[in-house]
Parts: sequence; C-alpha cells; structure tokens
Amino acid sequence: MFTPVNNDTLVKNTSYKVVLPFYLYAALSFLAATVLMLFSASDFTGHYFHPRILAITHVMALGCGTMIILGASHQLVPVLINGRLYSLTLAYISFILAATGIPLLAYGFYFFNLGWPAKLGGLLVSAAVFVYLTNLAVSIIKSKNENIHAVFVFTAAVWLLLTTIFGTLLVYNFTFVVFQSDSVRYLPLHAHMGIAGWFLLLVIGVGSRLVPMFLISKYTNTALLWIIYVLLNSGLLGFIVFYLYFPENYYHYVPVAAILASLGLFGYYCYNAFDQRIRRQVDEPMKISLLSVIMMLVPVLMLLVIIGSLLAGAVHTRWVLLYGFVIFFGWITAIILGMTFKTLPFIIWNKEYHLLAGLGKTPNPKDLFSDRVFTSMSIIYLSGFALFIAGICFANIFILNIATILLFITALLYNWNVIKLLMHKSPQT
Amino acid sequence: MNEITNNSSKCSMALMALHNVLDPEIGLNVVDLGLIYEINFDDVNSKINVAMSLTSQFCPMGESIIAAVKRVLETTFSGMDIQLDLIFNPPWNPEMISDKGKEFLFL
Repeated sequence: MFTPVNNDTLVKNTSYKVVLPFYLYAALSFLAATVLMLFSASDFTGHYFHPRILAITHVMALGCGTMIILGASHQLVPVLINGRLYSLTLAYISFILAATGIPLLAYGFYFFNLGWPAKLGGLLVSAAVFVYLTNLAVSIIKSKNENIHAVFVFTAAVWLLLTTIFGTLLVYNFTFVVFQSDSVRYLPLHAHMGIAGWFLLLVIGVGSRLVPMFLISKYTNTALLWIIYVLLNSGLLGFIVFYLYFPENYYHYVPVAAILASLGLFGYYCYNAFDQRIRRQVDEPMKISLLSVIMMLVPVLMLLVIIGSLLAGAVHTRWVLLYGFVIFFGWITAIILGMTFKTLPFIIWNKEYHLLAGLGKTPNPKDLFSDRVFTSMSIIYLSGFALFIAGICFANIFILNIATILLFITALLYNWNVIKLLMHKSPQT
Repeated sequence: MNEITNNSSKCSMALMALHNVLDPEIGLNVVDLGLIYEINFDDVNSKINVAMSLTSQFCPMGESIIAAVKRVLETTFSGMDIQLDLIFNPPWNPEMISDKGKEFLFL
C-alpha cells in the first residue's frame, strides 16, 4: 500500500526576491566583461598577467560566474537538502557585499591600483562568501537531510572562501610583505582553488542533481559521485602541495590525472543520465549544458601540455592565456548560458503562475524567453569562442577583434532574454 | 497507477478536472503522467482523499503542482475538504505514464 510522507518534506522554494538580483547582476557583468574585451583585444596577444586581463577574468569569474551560481544555489539548496534556506536576510547581505566588492576589485585591477579599492573589494567579496557559507552550513544542519550533492556544494563554498581570502592576501602582498615570494608566483594556486575547488566541484555537485532531473532520468549513482568527490579534492590538494613543495617535478601529473579521471567519471555519469532519460527530445539549453560537460575536458588536457612545457622549461604564456580563456569563456560560460535558461524560467514561472496553475492554460516555463534569440546566441557564442581561440593561437589582433564583437553580441542576446524573463508578467497581473 | 476505489462517476470527474494540472517542465498533465495514485470520496464527511506523487522528491515545481491539484479539486467539488497525501513509496516511475502520455513524450 502507499506510504504517505509529511508534506513538510516537500521542497520549499526560496523567494524569487532574493534570487533574481543575482541573475540580473550576473547578466550585466557578462555584458561588462565583453565590453571590456572590446577595448582590450590586443592585450590577449601578450602575457596573461596584464591589468585588463585580470579585471576581465575577475568580472567573469566573480561578477558573472560566481554571482549566478550564488543566486541559483540559494534557489537550489532547498532542492539539494530537501529543506529550507536558513536565512533570506543573510542571502541579501551576501548579495550586497559581493555586488559592492566586485566592481571595486575590477577597478583596482583594470587601472592596476592595488590600493584601497582592490583591498576593500577583496575584503567585501570574502565577507560575502563567508555570509553565504554560514547560511549554507546552517541550512544543511537544520535540514538534517544532507546528501552527496549538498556535500559537494558545501565543500565548493569552503574552497571559494579559501580562494577569496587567499586572493585578497595576494592583493595585500603587492604593498605589504605577506608571502615569501611575489604574488604572481602564487597566482596558479589562487586560480586553481577557484576553478577546480569552487566552479568544478559545484558544477558537478549541482549538475549531478539537475542533469537527471531536467532530462527526467531515473539514473543515480551515489558511489560514483563519492569517487569523483575524493578524486577532485585529493587532486586539488595534491596540486597545491606539489606546486609549493615539489616545483618542476613530474609528480604534477598525478593530481592532474586525478582531476582528469574525475571529469571522465562525471562525463560517464551524465552519459548514463542522458541514456536513461525519459524525455527523448532534449531542449536547446540542455544541449548547451551537456556541451559544457565535454568542454570541461579541454582545459585539463591543456594543463597536461602546459605542465609538460613547464618541466621542459619552454612554457609559452600564450598557452596559459588560452587555458584561462577556455575555462572562463568555454565551459563556465557555456554552463551559464545553458543553465540560466533552465533555472530562471522556473523561478519566473513560479512567481507569476504559481497561483494560476490548474485554473486555465498557462505557458510552459520554456515559453517565457525567446527560443530564436537563444539559438542565435548559442551560434554566435560558439563562433566567437572558436575565433578567439584562433586569435590567441595566431596572436592575430584582427581575429581577436572580430571574436570580441561576437562575444559582445552573445552577451547582448543573453541579456535580452534574461531581461525578457525578468520583465515577464502573467496576463492576470 | 490511477486507482479509483469508490464513487467512479465522481472520480472520473476529478480525473477529468486534474487533466488541467500540468507538470510545467514536462508539459504533460498529472493524470497521464501517472502522478495520481488514488482518489477516494468520503461523502459522509465531505472529504476527498488524494494519494499522489511527483516525478522527483526534489521537484522544484512540487509546491505549485500540489497547490494546483488542491485548487482544481476545490473548484470542481466546492464544499468538499481535500486531503492530499504525498507518496514516495512506491516512487513514481515511467511505467506509470499512460499510453497517451507515452505518445506525447515519444516513448
């Protein structure tokens, strides 16, 4: 016979009022990053440690990537822990701190003024992450329903806090002696803590829940996810230890191999979810999201080449620049482009049609944004992405200029659809 | 797995009304999706007992779908009290989708 559960076990959605500002901020940051790129195309033919490249990277990583993830995770944490978000106030505080800190940090990098704007920016961003982590931790403790996905998200948030604190210390290191060496030496550590610790861990933790859910697939494999979790974290810790204590040693391949294995296993997980899906037709946002899973492998393979070149004493900064671009404008951007239009329409639908469901015909969430604009955006994005790679490889400013224009158009179309969603009102309101 | 245990004409009416409640992500109604496990009418106490599930316990649209089921039944059978039990044991599975639903989903 049936076993009813208490309706309290049902996921309780976080108020849209908390979540939507994060989405809007992220969309505008994406636009801001591409505008900065329009004026900086020639910088991508030189060294990666360049003020404008640092500014663009942080606008993309923090303003776009992190803000949208923070926003979405305030909505998704209840789904992951099967409980409520502990505090809406803490979520607002986290937004205000990050939204204030990111432009200060970007300004500091762009004009290479590592005085108070960059320092205050770093402190505010770290404070925002601390507040987010606290909110997350209390939500998980209160739900008493933690699972592997929540463990991924929590660990990712810890890595993010370590990344932002370490990053802020690196800014201070320019004017005070905080570390033994100059900040540039520690840049790979800061970058990889953020890329693998924050983005990768979080994308896998959330993606392993969302991909089967959106494909309506019954596939699940907790044991496999634990293996991925251990491989990824041990790989990252190994990378930090080897970088600090065993530089220029073939040991570096071990942690990279662990991370590569974790990505391969996540790809296998997604393939199984895809293979066992109930919904045969896969929509466009889901296709882009699945493409981003494949895109994850590209930077790791590039890292193997870079380490090989480093050990041979012949690393070309162009490869490092390409590596960073493929990460931030490759898989992170692709997953943002795809997942925005899988999550935001639901939030808007719940906001506008929650009380109208069942009373008459309501649009589907996917009908709330323009499919045509989305498809155009995807094509232009992939063209811009491919051209930019060619531009870096050949150090060709003309190609880079064309590519930055295409990426700017991508950001415009993305904003168009995001704003269309945010402005959507049900006919009854 | 639609189990109609009593008062078949009222249950048919209820199921017909519930065809208006869609899972917004899938675009299919909750009846053909097989989410409605059981409907019982208790005419003596003016109560309708509904046992239903969701495609996933973590479904972010769960609140909306359940609210819509209640709202539709309250509208169709005014004056009746709706008792809704959420069931995850047995969990919903694709075999519960009706033939019409399978056709809709290209299964």
